[in-house]
Amino acid sequence: MDNGMEGMLDTYLFETNSLLDRLDEMLMADEKIGDFSTDDVNEIFRIMHTIKGSSAMMEFSAMAEIAHHIEDMFFYIRDKGIDSLDPQHKKELFNLMFRSEDFLRGQVEKVESGEALDTDIDSFAADINNFLKKISGAPAEQPEENPAAEAPQTHPAALDHLPDDKEAVCFLHVFLEDGIGMENLRAYMIVNAVQECGIDLRYYPENMETDSSTAASIIEEGFFMAFTSEEDANKASDVLRTQNYIRSYELAAVPEPEPEPEVPPKEEPVKSAAPASAPKPAPAPKPAPAKQAAAPPVKQNLISVSLMRLDSLQNIVGEIVITESMVTSAPELNQLSRDAYDNFMKSARQLRKLTDDLQDISMSLRMVPISGVFQKMSRIVRDMKQKLNKDVRLTLIGEDTEIDKTIVDSIQDPIMHMVRNAMDHGIEDDPSERIALGKNPQGEIILSATHTSSEVVISISDDGKGMDPEKLLAKARDKGILTKPESEYSVKEALGLVMLPGFSTNQEVTEFSGRGVGMDVVKKNVESVGGVVSLASEYGKGTTFTMKIPLTMAIVDGMKVTVGNSIFTIPIANIRQSLKILPEDVIRDENDNEMLELMDSFYPVVRLHQFFNIDTDVTELSDGIVMWVETSDRSFCLFVDELVGEQQVVVKPFPAFLNYFELKNSGIAGCTILGDGNISIILDIQSLHSAALENA
Amino acid sequence: MSEQLNNQEDIQDVAEMETDELSTIDRCLTFESAGLILYISTNNVIEIINNHSITTLPLMPPYIKGIINLRGQILPVMDIQQRMGKGPTEFTGSACIIVLDIDSVSLGIIVDSVRQVMDIDLKNVRPIPLKHQQKLLNGMVTMEDGSVFMSIDCQALAVPQ
Repeated sequence: MDNGMEGMLDTYLFETNSLLDRLDEMLMADEKIGDFSTDDVNEIFRIMHTIKGSSAMMEFSAMAEIAHHIEDMFFYIRDKGIDSLDPQHKKELFNLMFRSEDFLRGQVEKVESGEALDTDIDSFAADINNFLKKISGAPAEQPEENPAAEAPQTHPAALDHLPDDKEAVCFLHVFLEDGIGMENLRAYMIVNAVQECGIDLRYYPENMETDSSTAASIIEEGFFMAFTSEEDANKASDVLRTQNYIRSYELAAVPEPEPEPEVPPKEEPVKSAAPASAPKPAPAPKPAPAKQAAAPPVKQNLISVSLMRLDSLQNIVGEIVITESMVTSAPELNQLSRDAYDNFMKSARQLRKLTDDLQDISMSLRMVPISGVFQKMSRIVRDMKQKLNKDVRLTLIGEDTEIDKTIVDSIQDPIMHMVRNAMDHGIEDDPSERIALGKNPQGEIILSATHTSSEVVISISDDGKGMDPEKLLAKARDKGILTKPESEYSVKEALGLVMLPGFSTNQEVTEFSGRGVGMDVVKKNVESVGGVVSLASEYGKGTTFTMKIPLTMAIVDGMKVTVGNSIFTIPIANIRQSLKILPEDVIRDENDNEMLELMDSFYPVVRLHQFFNIDTDVTELSDGIVMWVETSDRSFCLFVDELVGEQQVVVKPFPAFLNYFELKNSGIAGCTILGDGNISIILDIQSLHSAALENA
Repeated sequence: MSEQLNNQEDIQDVAEMETDELSTIDRCLTFESAGLILYISTNNVIEIINNHSITTLPLMPPYIKGIINLRGQILPVMDIQQRMGKGPTEFTGSACIIVLDIDSVSLGIIVDSVRQVMDIDLKNVRPIPLKHQQKLLNGMVTMEDGSVFMSIDCQALAVPQ
């Protein structure tokens, strides 16, 4: 788990830092125009939401809490519209946000250097809440409560030590920065500066100008300025903002004489506004003295690169590979002398090796370990375990397996769905059922990922109830989705029913799974990245879902075939067999559709030249080649002119202009540039089947 | 040809006379297709290529000739003569492909021949009378010598129909 945590921490730091960068960028831009745009408000809300979530997961509660408060605040602002704030509030909001950003950054830095995080965040949280209350126009009952609630926590001494000054209506309690030296004189200079502005005040300790021993108490408890009117106090706090060396200050009304309800709510935000000029916000990171055993520093070793750049890198590398083979196979080379040719080939081989390496690296750039997805599953299992009150352990195998980034995104939901299904429906509700069957009372879900040469195999298996084919069939009958008599369904076919749209075996919709849009969506998602889902289940023993997904969709092993003047590429993964046939092998149905009998089954024949309307001389089935192709559950024969050979090709999508024609629905997946610069069209067997046979 | 050159000079003269309203002058590439002289702003023109082998795409309307490999970029190619509802452009020696970029949609069009680049004052461009309205044309301008140039509507070109 240690390793896993480290990986998560890495990702967490990376994510949080980039979110904060984004926040900073946005705040700076918005401050220039002095306003938040609605989009930015939404964005900040999202950022805070994400930081809250991930911090809570990493158990950095201080950050999670602050982010939570800001999220609340922006939820309100988003709700009411940013225009509901007056300019003064906006200005304060900016200051508050910058302060929040600094705070979060400070915490992240601590995480990075392995220090303990701040725990003392209450006053900062209160600031945010007060601001929220202020903009939401909450009743002003806060004044007394707030300083009271806040002060004892941050500066326990504050109210108890209010100097004895009968005339004073309110006090400013000022704290200086740590370690600046000659605190008493600096405090006196600050008092002077305030007095210079024509504000009448008294200060405590009274003898701080002359008695250097007061420095110690100023360091400890700060110093006080006493005012006879709140107006003066407000003016003074304005002055304080322009002064250096102030760590924080707060306004304290004298409790007894006259609790002016208006003063503190007005004053609070001023305090939050202070850091704009005061160098350090009050709760800002000063390493907590009670540090835990320092964790080793974590350095961030990730950078973010846009997928578009990676795509274009990959394109260029693909071009280099093609160009290289164009150069090394140029016919002009034959005119070289024997020695010169040998030399050339030597260099060419070296180039070959380098371009191969380059290709491997550029491919691996897009690869990310699947551990991120798996980690999220541990979390889900943990939560569901408590909610459902089932004792289950999750075993992860092969977390380091790497797959293409785009594929990760599209399989996360399917995996999550299947894990939830396994938790919810798979594992028995009652441990005694398990014991009766001789199983370990603790259920187990195994999530594993392995590589084969061209595929990633991800399986989710549980040792729970398993599926009862009889029940599945009965259910399917109720739903009316059976296509043939019940008795003709094999066990495998019965299990396959689960993947059909509108099939859900759970009677009731639960919190976690079973909304009737389950497995068919999973299947669709996996198929969209070129993968297949299969299912094995033994009643009483458990269920295993297996997803096979091609490593990457950018490079395909293809078989080149010709039809007329066109060259098509069929993904080798789809090819079962290529065969020459005799005219008498062909069977026709009443509509004159051609079929072939292969391995005791009949398969329809699609003549590619007819389907695509291509002129060719080869129109007799016996003159050309028949390719027997299949995808997950469909199999048929393609008639083409000639087989050219095998080649690894880089898949290029069609230009945007052609999207209008929906090539993807007519059996064409994309195109690729061949070694000689010609273009070959890559077939999509799945959609070719639907276009040519199902809608014909 | 000399007439054309004169023409161009005339237009340039006009341009010089109205230097204060330079913004209405647009540099345009003129070319021939479907028996018309057409022009398109050079802002949209990337390059002119010829002798490219076009890979036909199945199941496309006839005016989409297919795709070409332009230094690794896949570029769709359309025959604007066919797009305007006439027969296909015959491939003669002068026929070529103009590569366009219309709001970052890349596209090649096949034309009979390319003429020259010249300045056209957009103030002189008149709308096409309804009776003669073409699918792809959105303006016409009469030259000094009485010849008529038609403007191609780039936006319409970039939207397949």
